[in-house]
This record gives sequence, C-alpha cells and structure tokens, in this order.
Amino acid sequence: MFDRDVWQEIFNTLKTNKLRTFLTGFSVGWAIFILVMLLASVNGMENGFVGQFNDDATNSIFVRPGTTSKAYGGFEEGRRIQLKNDDVEYIKRSFPEDVEYISARYYTNTTARYKDETGSYSVQGTHPDHQAIEKTLVVAGRYINEADLINKAKVAVIGRKVAEDLFKDEDPLGKFVEFNGLPFRVIGIFTDDGDDNAERRIYAPISTYQRIYGNTNNINMIALTYNPSYDLSTSLEFSSRLEDLMKRRHKIDPEDQSGLYVFNYAEAFDNISSFTAVLKGIGIGVGFLILIAGIVGIGNIMVFTIKERTKEIGVRKALGARPSQIINLVLLESVFITSISGFIGLLFAWMILAAIGPTIETPAFSNPSVSLSVVVTATIVLIVAGVLAGLLPAMKAANVKPIVALSDK
Amino acid sequence: MIEIKDLHKSYKMGSNVLHVLKGINFKVEEGELVAIMGSSGSGKSTLLNILGMLDGADSGEYTLDGVPIKNLSETKAAQYRNKFLGFIFQSFNLINYKSALENVALPLYYQKVPRKERQEKAMKYLERVGLKPWADHLPSELSGGQKQRVAIARAMAAEPKVLLADEPTGALDSTTSYEVMDLIQKINDDGNTILVVTHEEDIAHMCKRIVHLKDGVIVEDKKVEQVRAEQYV
Repeated sequence: MFDRDVWQEIFNTLKTNKLRTFLTGFSVGWAIFILVMLLASVNGMENGFVGQFNDDATNSIFVRPGTTSKAYGGFEEGRRIQLKNDDVEYIKRSFPEDVEYISARYYTNTTARYKDETGSYSVQGTHPDHQAIEKTLVVAGRYINEADLINKAKVAVIGRKVAEDLFKDEDPLGKFVEFNGLPFRVIGIFTDDGDDNAERRIYAPISTYQRIYGNTNNINMIALTYNPSYDLSTSLEFSSRLEDLMKRRHKIDPEDQSGLYVFNYAEAFDNISSFTAVLKGIGIGVGFLILIAGIVGIGNIMVFTIKERTKEIGVRKALGARPSQIINLVLLESVFITSISGFIGLLFAWMILAAIGPTIETPAFSNPSVSLSVVVTATIVLIVAGVLAGLLPAMKAANVKPIVALSDK
Repeated sequence: MIEIKDLHKSYKMGSNVLHVLKGINFKVEEGELVAIMGSSGSGKSTLLNILGMLDGADSGEYTLDGVPIKNLSETKAAQYRNKFLGFIFQSFNLINYKSALENVALPLYYQKVPRKERQEKAMKYLERVGLKPWADHLPSELSGGQKQRVAIARAMAAEPKVLLADEPTGALDSTTSYEVMDLIQKINDDGNTILVVTHEEDIAHMCKRIVHLKDGVIVEDKKVEQVRAEQYV
C-alpha cells in the first residue's frame, strides 16, 4: 500500500486528467460538506433546545398540590391539597434508593432594602439540597446549609441582579439587608444560566420563612432529583410510583388529574431528544443521498480511466501482474480521490463552523458544531465510499484479457 | 523446453465455429531461435498466445520447462508468465509515463524484487541493449528501434526461460529491423530460447529454424542456415 510505484502511478493518472479529477473530487467534497453542515445544524438545534431546559437538573421531578376534581375517600370534590414538611420526610423515607436530592419550596415576595435602595423580589424558602436540584451556581459565599435550617437563621442567598440593584459597588457578603423590615445576613450570591429573572430571586432557609409567616408547616411544592443512573423508563416508573403514593397519602382519587401534579422533566426531554433524533436521521439520510451521487461520479471516472488504460493493464498482466495487484491499484486510486476530496469538504465545513458557529446564539439554535465522532464517521464513510466506487471498475480491470488488450489489429 | 502435443483451438464467431489450430505438435529445445511463419489467419498469433499463457487451448498438452500448463487460475498464470516468459510486442507496449529504466524494472516489481536491486538489474539490461544513456527518458522521447530495444530489455529483465516475440520488427523500417534482429541473435548466442512470430522471409531466415503454419497445421518445420543480421547493420 505504501509502495512508491503504486503512488507514482496514481499521481500520474490524476495529473493527466486534472480537470476530470477535480470535478469528480468536487462532487464528493461537496457531498461531505453538506453532510457535515446538516449534522452541525441539527446539533445546533439540539444545543438550542437543551439550553432552554438546562436551567434545572434534567433528572428532576416537581410535585405541586392542586384542587381535587373528584370526590374520594369521604371527601367532597374541590378540596385544596396542602403539602407540609412531613411530605418531604415521607418521600425521603419511602424512596431511599430513588431520591438523590429533595427540597421543599416555600414562595413569598418581599420588599428588600439596603441603605437607600429598595426593590421587590420573590423569595424561595428551600432546603440545602435545592442548590443541586436547581443547579444554582454560587459565585461568592455559600448556599444555605443544615445549620441555617436548624437554627432558623435569618440568612439569604441573593441573585446577581439583586446584588447589583441593592448593593451597587459594595460587596454584599456579610452585610445585612432588610426583608419586610427584618434583617437578613447575605451569605452568598448566585448566578443562573437560565435567564436574568432567575437572578432576581432570593433563597432563604425554609424553616426561617415558615416561622416568620405564622409558624406554619405548609410548603408550596416539592422538588427532587432521582438517581441519575435511571434511564427514561425507570424514571417514569418512579414518578408514577411517587404520584400513587402521594395521592394515597392525601386521599386523592388515583384517576384525579388535578389534585396533585407530578411533573417529570424526563418526559419533556424525551420529546426533544426524539425530535432531534428524527432531524438527525433526516440530515444523515439527505447527506448520504448526495454522497451517493458523488460515489457514482468517482465510479464513472474510474471506469473511463480503466477503459483508457486497458492496453496498459494488458501489458502489466503479460508481464506478470496478478489480478489482485490490479484491483489494489484501482481501489487505492479511488479511495485516494474520495478521501482527499472528502477531507477538503470536511475541512471547509469545519472552518466555516469554527468561524461562525460560536457567534450563533438564539433560543432555538446555538453553536452549531461537529463532534469528533462525526469526523471519524465521515472518514470511515469516505474510505468505504472510495472502495465502493472503485470496486466495479477494479473488477473490470482485473478481468481485462491480456490477449484482447494486446491485439494490435 | 517447450513441448506441445495435439493442440486444438477454436473460436466462436457468432454461430460459426472457427477452428484455428488443428492439432499442433511441436518441440523447442533450450537455446533454439525459432521463427514461426505463416500468412494472417494461419494461426501463428493464436499459437503464440497459447504459448504465452495469454489464452487457453481447447485440448492438447503444453509443457513448459517440465511444468504442465493446464487449467491455470489468473493468479497462477500471472506467476508463470512472470517466471517463465518474456514478451516482445510489435507495438512495443511500453508504459508511456514511465522512464525506460522503470519500464524495464516493471517485471521485477511484480516479482517483488526490492526497489534498489530492481533498478540495478534494470540498468544492467538497459546497458546490454545499449540504452544506458537513455535510462531516464520517457518512451515518447525514443525512436522506434530504441523503444523495441527497451522492450527487449524489459522482456529479459525477469530472466525468463523463453522469450516470445510477436512481429518484433513489424513496426520498424528495415535498417532498424536488422538492428533489433542483431540484438535478438546476440541474446540467443548467450543461450536464451527465443520464439519469433513473423511473416517476413528475411527476418525468418535470421533464425535457426523455421516453422511454417498454414490453416492451423504445421506444414513445414526445417532447420536453416542462420543469416547474421550484423552484416546489414
């Protein structure tokens, strides 16, 4: 394969047919270019979609109470369901294997004041686990911990926007900010990939807020993440077990759709990934169809080359060339043209993507790019394509009868 | 060296069957220089093709240097051709994008001789045909006689048992023809077995034996007094 004579011959045929080589090579390069661009576009769409949901952990489940729509267990319909602290403990105890992180949420609004600055913000009372569920990025200080929860400490983790609004250029850490007149110490600042609104939020220990607002056990919702090793079906199975259990606990008809909402992120993700999978399939399909045109082109040039060289092949056979050596020569030439032109197409696509990809950042389409696996696959496809394109012409060449090729008449 | 017994060969031409060789019996000893003569259609080219393993016989026996040549696969035939035979064609059949040296080295390439050794050997044979200074020239830069001498060097490079020449002077003027025949005679003087297909009387008489073919049978097989080509050069 790495024989100087073989390469000399390949280069010679390519050199004597420059335009033809270029035109056929172009068709394969173009096909690969389109294939890579299509795949990158699908990738960009996927990035866009995933980015929109990426705000929260993808293995999260949210449990929200509602109002019953059916009479059940001696209760009339239209009963409001109220979740309490016990529910969190209950879920934790019932599913020790399944639950990774769990936190309640208690929603309030507050008017915050620091020195002369005031602003109205939403406050979420949470457990320490909430950081992992919401993927909250604490950029300074720390998040709420167990000690804060037990001591019902008046501490707060504030969003970046809140810090900008209230503290201007000051460092908020350790400073006291008034929430509805009560002083809270700022222990951390967070940012959020999701959007700016999330950064206008304040986190505080749930126990602190429950005591401030009437010594209650009530919570607004429960957020949890399940074992990240679960696949889709296991996770859906788990959320339905969770739903059954919570409905039984709160005496809601199992068929009641509005008494309790259990929302599993995996379902939404499943829809998106099947959508992008279909798109990817279409992209690959279209790309391959175009590539086939290129392969036929290469096959065509090889057939002509062999027709032109029939006599030469005959001479070679008379001199003792084995059929396998002839096949080898033709295949290598075909693989060579396909690979080189394909790589040029790949390189162009890659350069364009590298240049403009990162600048594209819209909700539905962001950073179209190709992964290493696409490049490797494309390379394998090219070599296979080259072999396929050369196969028929090569067999034809191997079957050249020296006697026919050499007849001078 | 070559032994043929009752060789038959026919071609199908549409619905007709053309019986080209009708039982050839023929023997060539080592070191002979044989001319095969006959008008076109006499079967001389077919005989040469069968001898060259470029074509198969329908029936009969063919033994080359003690090896029976029968039912060869393409690969085996290629090996035997490479090992036993050297071809010289009327139209030279040099590969036009390879230099004279590379053309001569080609059979050695198919014998898997290492590149360096191949080139040395090829140079030796080019020198023998007097074309060492033209080693790096392409066939297009050589005259007809020079091309045929390169082809002869190429046929000899693999050191075959038998050289088969199909109208080696057919495309050359008479002076050049004699030059080529002179070379062939000298190679024969060194003990090489050579078969020459020709339809020219004077060329045939420069061989040591003339076999006449007519309508697929040998009509005459005689030893002749060799005319040296040297005197005409």
